[in-house]
Amino acid sequence: MTDGRSWEGNWRVRLYERVRERGYDSLTAFAEARPAVPLYLLAEELGKDDIAAVQVLSGLLAEAEQRKQVTRFVRDVLVRMLSQSLPDGWPTVLDHANRFKVAKAMGRWFAYTPETHKERADRAGDALLATPPPPGWLPRGPDDELLLTLLPDEEV
Amino acid sequence: MGALHRTQAASVSAQVLDDGGEQSVPGMGLGLTMRVDSSGAKGTGLLLALALLCNACVPLTPPPGPGRSLGYSPHGGTRLAMAGVMAAAPGSSDATVRRSALATHLAFRSALREVSGSALRVSSELSRLEASDSGIVGAGNGIFVRYAEYGEARLRWIDAELAAATEVAAAASEVEAPEMQLALLRLAGPRLEAAMMGSMLLAVWVDFLTLTDAALSRRLNSVEALFMRLDGWQKMLEPAMTALSSQAPEQVEAAAQDMPALVGHLSRELAALLEDMNKGAKVLETALVLKESMEALTLLSALKFTLPALRAAAPVSLGVGLMVGPNGVMMGTRMVVSAEWVEMMRQLVRAGVLSVPAVSAAVRIQAGHVMMAQGHGDLSRGVREALGDSPEVRAMRVTGKTGAGMAEPPRHHVMPNELREWFEMRGFTGKMSIEWFCVTLQQAHHQAIHGGGNWKLGRKWPGEWNRMIMEALYDAEAKAGRMLTRNTILEIVAVYMQLYDIPMNFVRCRGK
Repeated sequence: MTDGRSWEGNWRVRLYERVRERGYDSLTAFAEARPAVPLYLLAEELGKDDIAAVQVLSGLLAEAEQRKQVTRFVRDVLVRMLSQSLPDGWPTVLDHANRFKVAKAMGRWFAYTPETHKERADRAGDALLATPPPPGWLPRGPDDELLLTLLPDEEV
Repeated sequence: MGALHRTQAASVSAQVLDDGGEQSVPGMGLGLTMRVDSSGAKGTGLLLALALLCNACVPLTPPPGPGRSLGYSPHGGTRLAMAGVMAAAPGSSDATVRRSALATHLAFRSALREVSGSALRVSSELSRLEASDSGIVGAGNGIFVRYAEYGEARLRWIDAELAAATEVAAAASEVEAPEMQLALLRLAGPRLEAAMMGSMLLAVWVDFLTLTDAALSRRLNSVEALFMRLDGWQKMLEPAMTALSSQAPEQVEAAAQDMPALVGHLSRELAALLEDMNKGAKVLETALVLKESMEALTLLSALKFTLPALRAAAPVSLGVGLMVGPNGVMMGTRMVVSAEWVEMMRQLVRAGVLSVPAVSAAVRIQAGHVMMAQGHGDLSRGVREALGDSPEVRAMRVTGKTGAGMAEPPRHHVMPNELREWFEMRGFTGKMSIEWFCVTLQQAHHQAIHGGGNWKLGRKWPGEWNRMIMEALYDAEAKAGRMLTRNTILEIVAVYMQLYDIPMNFVRCRGK
């Protein structure tokens, strides 16, 4: 947490400096090496005083757009979100409290999703709730089988 | 400061207060004072100190050990934005923040209990005064009743602040995100602080009333003179009381800073009244009445430590420094506050819930250090550090304040103001209205968050804070299939603040 320091100066230059310092040529590569790690922890690792998680998020999106892998990016964000919100995996019973928990993760994911993919993300979320995955399910990366069926790559 | 000292302290208290009751219990206080009398003034101090200690004996889960990694960074407020900082501290983990949140929560509850306890004592003293028809109530055709009523009104205010603080603390305990728990406790901090300071002042006021009551019922002073004195004292108290009830953290803190001096002044006033009463009692018979009545007095406030004894003009504790000992803060051989109390306050100060000036003032007033107010007014470094003060806190106190002529940093609603009603329907009303959840942001930060500046990376990035947060909330509500609870909303908000690197340090935008 930085009270604004993450927004001082040219943060994009700073972000990529840190990525290169750690031996990666892209933010995506840096993140891939840390699957299912929540975004805020990625930001913390890159600069606990001057990098905000949302900067990492937007950097990842920009790279995904260049690589035409936005759907994969959207899945990756959901994975990181779920590991933060449901560390013990998908709840056994979707009772009142657990439903809120899942809904919370979904809502956040939806808001992080770029406009182009919102509708698909929304449907994928509904499908997850309608046909819940097995208890304890916790995707480890964007290539999780179930996630791929819910939100397959469509990029051209 | 382990269990050993706590046990020692508890057993000593139990020996002295053999009923296990507190000095404050109605009737008990009288007995205690009577018993104390035979052992002289020194004994009085010791016993009262023990009684005080007993009051402060609250079970408390100690915070993580001395090696805990609590990082700080300056923020736009005089309280620490702990949560965010801790999340980023080296080696920090969710577990550390969780532990800290729990410890802070327990300390907060203890402090609430303690302040409620003293409010209760004030309340029963006031009832007792109002029940006697020879003194305050009966004298001068009831012209003194207004002063008791003033006490009642102030008491109601303290009770309301405590209730509000309790409510917010309860909300904090229901939220899962530990950073948000801490943020909510900080939100309730100024209320707790105001109630704590207010109850100290109120105890002084009740002591004035008690003394006046004694003088009136024994006809030691003229009704007019006493009336005028009370009027003057009320005028002295009122500005501090008003500042405390302003709910503005800066004002509360400033009032706290001035409190030792004020209490010092008031205690000199009280001493002067005693002196006059003494002079009035020329005839032996009257003198005996006076002696008896003084012995019956149960003073609630810490003034009892500063008042010179009636007969032996005992020197007040001038020039005796406060020191941190294994059992708490000591003044010479007298315990001022217990180690448990110190630990509780330390936790609250370091979490940014209470301010250093307030806690220092509380210690100085308890110690009767008020006489030194004009000179070297501050506590020693050791005591301050024990209470959670640190260079970081000090630095922040300086930089956090807006200097003369400097503009207040603008405050921004975390939950969009345009959708106030939506939030109201989901429980954000009163003490938890969205007005309380504002943040101050640096310009660059603000621009970035509201989608301005040079921030957009992805062309279609939904970067605008209000839109983003509402999308998340609307979607979560749709997915949940029912109206979101206040806590769920707070948890979602907490994650977004973390995402955007906004310190979870709430200030009030406007309103009460």
